[in-house]
Amino acid sequence: MTQTSISTRTAFFAKHRASLGVLLLLILMPFIVGLFNGASPATVFVNGNGQSKFIQGLAIEIFILALYALSFDLIFGITGMLSFGHSMFFSVGAYLTGIAIKSFGLSLPATLGWLVIAAIIQALLFGMVLPRVKGITFALVTLGIASVFHIVVMSSELGPYTGSDVGLQGVIVPDFISPANERLRFYFIALTVLILVYLLYQRFVNSPTGRVCIAIRENEGRAQMLGYNTFYFKLAALTISSLTAALAGFLHTLYQPIVSPNTAGLGFTVTALLILLIGGVGTLNGALVGAVVFRLLDYGLRRYIGESASFISGAVYVLFVLFIPYGIVGTWRLKSFQIKQGWERLLGLFR
Amino acid sequence: MVSYFRKNYILLITLSVFVALFSAAAQGMSQQDFIITLLRGLAVGSITFLVASGFSLIFGLLDVLNLAHGTLFMIGAYIGWTVFVRPDTFVDLLTPLALIVSGFALRDVYPLLASRIRLGLRMKRILPWALALVSVLILGWILPRYPIAYWDTGNFAQSPVTYAFMASQGTRLPAPLAAFTEISPALGLIGLLLASLVGAFGLSLFASETQSTFRMTWKNFIGFAILLVIGLVGFIFNNALTAFLLGLSSNWLFLVAVIVAMLSGAGLGALMESILIRPLYSRPIYQLMLTLGLSAIGIEMVRAVWGRPEFVMPKPVFFDGTGAGCPATSFADWWANNCSTILLFEGRVRVYNEIFIPLVGLVVLVSIWILLQRTRLGMIIRAGVQDREMVEALGINVRRVFTMVFALGVGLAALGGVLAAPSMGLSNVMGESLFLNALIALAIGGLTNYPGAALGSVLVGLIQQFIIKYGQIGIPIPFTEIIFKPTPPLVPASTVLLMVIILLILPNGLLGKKE
Repeated sequence: MTQTSISTRTAFFAKHRASLGVLLLLILMPFIVGLFNGASPATVFVNGNGQSKFIQGLAIEIFILALYALSFDLIFGITGMLSFGHSMFFSVGAYLTGIAIKSFGLSLPATLGWLVIAAIIQALLFGMVLPRVKGITFALVTLGIASVFHIVVMSSELGPYTGSDVGLQGVIVPDFISPANERLRFYFIALTVLILVYLLYQRFVNSPTGRVCIAIRENEGRAQMLGYNTFYFKLAALTISSLTAALAGFLHTLYQPIVSPNTAGLGFTVTALLILLIGGVGTLNGALVGAVVFRLLDYGLRRYIGESASFISGAVYVLFVLFIPYGIVGTWRLKSFQIKQGWERLLGLFR
Repeated sequence: MVSYFRKNYILLITLSVFVALFSAAAQGMSQQDFIITLLRGLAVGSITFLVASGFSLIFGLLDVLNLAHGTLFMIGAYIGWTVFVRPDTFVDLLTPLALIVSGFALRDVYPLLASRIRLGLRMKRILPWALALVSVLILGWILPRYPIAYWDTGNFAQSPVTYAFMASQGTRLPAPLAAFTEISPALGLIGLLLASLVGAFGLSLFASETQSTFRMTWKNFIGFAILLVIGLVGFIFNNALTAFLLGLSSNWLFLVAVIVAMLSGAGLGALMESILIRPLYSRPIYQLMLTLGLSAIGIEMVRAVWGRPEFVMPKPVFFDGTGAGCPATSFADWWANNCSTILLFEGRVRVYNEIFIPLVGLVVLVSIWILLQRTRLGMIIRAGVQDREMVEALGINVRRVFTMVFALGVGLAALGGVLAAPSMGLSNVMGESLFLNALIALAIGGLTNYPGAALGSVLVGLIQQFIIKYGQIGIPIPFTEIIFKPTPPLVPASTVLLMVIILLILPNGLLGKKE
């Protein structure tokens, strides 16, 4: 009995060696960076090291982007619905959090409650058009809904709440997770949220519901023929995606001092597409890897090249499409399969 | 007849709602306001239509959503500006561009050449990369040393803004002169030609198609020869050409600018299709991402070359007269004085913006309609929109038609850009808003339907202009004292809302085919 439990435990560790290693690295990273900079872990723990804080900040941004990309992957990569209005899911979360805290003085749990309601409502709004339009028309309709939202956010009538085209500023974050003073805590909270959502997504994709979603991506008519009412499955994917994106927006508002109206525009949806393309469309790991690569690339280019950074990122985009079409994770899976085969063939020679 | 009503009753109801709204809008304003708003709406609609029609042709036949269409519209405008305001730069650029493109005109010959080369598998994999690298190296060495009389975005006195302003005053400042200093002219020309040939051969090896049934004829070399001659003539008669273009009246120069912008747009489209998009026909979603990336690259290139500030393109003299006898009171009067404005129903109408552009839009609409309905190419395109595989099976070279249609679509966008430049002004973001308008217009009219593109564009233009006009005069709401003034954000929002509503009622747009 004990034998089996030990062996299953070792099997678990052996199977998830890489992910656990990455997790450990992420937990230790603030302290390691601090050590490299000559600060003891105790200093890092009380947020005394600037370098470590900076790296934590970058990591938090990556976590938020990864959450956002995951949510887009669920509807685009897994369920196969191309939505051009995804940035709305994010920015509704971001703006609602800011307005609830700043203008109405709500507490964080109450804000989260309102957020869930808003996320479900907007998923239903997108779901309302689902049975009517498909494919590219769906993309256009979602683009339309999101542009209306973008225009509403930008309008001067709502200026006192949304800050119109300047952006929402001056959100006072509760002290215990203030990103300025308690950044390490914020870092771990963001990391925990990301891991929990990732595990949830993994569970969802491997569940029977997720399988049906993949079937819808592959061939919707066939999924219908098999007796599934595809509308409900799409709606489920949309709702989960909307909740996740709103959560990412929530974290974004707490972390950033300003919510820019650009987060509601088409450009931010394109960011999600870009992340998925870099990481690999339809793979959950790809969203994470893509977010890391995208943010670091963006940061590096802006820092060392400056204004013409978007030229390089556009070129990277085109090169990825032409030469690495399955993204980093997708290509890695293909190659590792080939390498594994070759390795076994090699071992077979000695046997 | 009855069955027609029964089939299309939703469409007919929608159209009658439009007519009712339109006549209600006409009641609320004076006659001269109405005429001007109508003409402005038609003008915006025509520019939108030029972008939308190309987009719809491409999407209909190739199934490619070309998201770079707005950027190509902008590039067309900038090219037209360059020819119109700085003909010397244009003549200087003619030679290197013609030489670089000339290699790609030989693309039918390369597969034959490739099949003659016997190489190992490894070499075969390395060779294309090596050739492309060699080509890029030669270009990188020669192009910075090639003399081009060019503006200087860093220096305000020589920036596009200043040149555009001076040109609108009727004078053209000399651009900083340029001449071969570091390399000899012959070396420069031969190097460019060599780089082009090597690069095109390398790129054709990437595609690696073997055409077994290929015959070498003189037809394969004609494009190459033409480009070579253009390049050499442009080089030898550089000064004479510049003097000739500067001596032209601005009407003829504008015509030259329009033609050059259209042709270069078409060439750009053909290059894009044959090099970048062709490998991706089997992966539709990636074409979308590719064109998005190209769009970002295009905007950044324009920023690097022409700078970030906005500037204007002067109108040709034909539409820009002021002084005695202006504004003209009738068309005969206008013809005599070439006034910039004309009095119609006691309202001042700008001739270029509100009469010339809609006329061009109408001409394009009719000529493309004739092309689609009355020619063999049009027949193939229409058949291809219906069923692409069947057309292929009938033995028609669909590839070539694809390239042609892509070139045509991008050429139309570039035409729209250069026509819009004098009325809109040039800026880095001029493509984006217009492209969004065009997408909305297509969604309203039906994505792959050519008359639908025209109907949608005109609707979008009219609605926007009427809302702008009512933003100035206000709408008295019945039975109350309130006067409602639509705010500027309502202008884009209204068309978007209209699109969403129409797509929910008619998922394929107003004139789109039901599935």
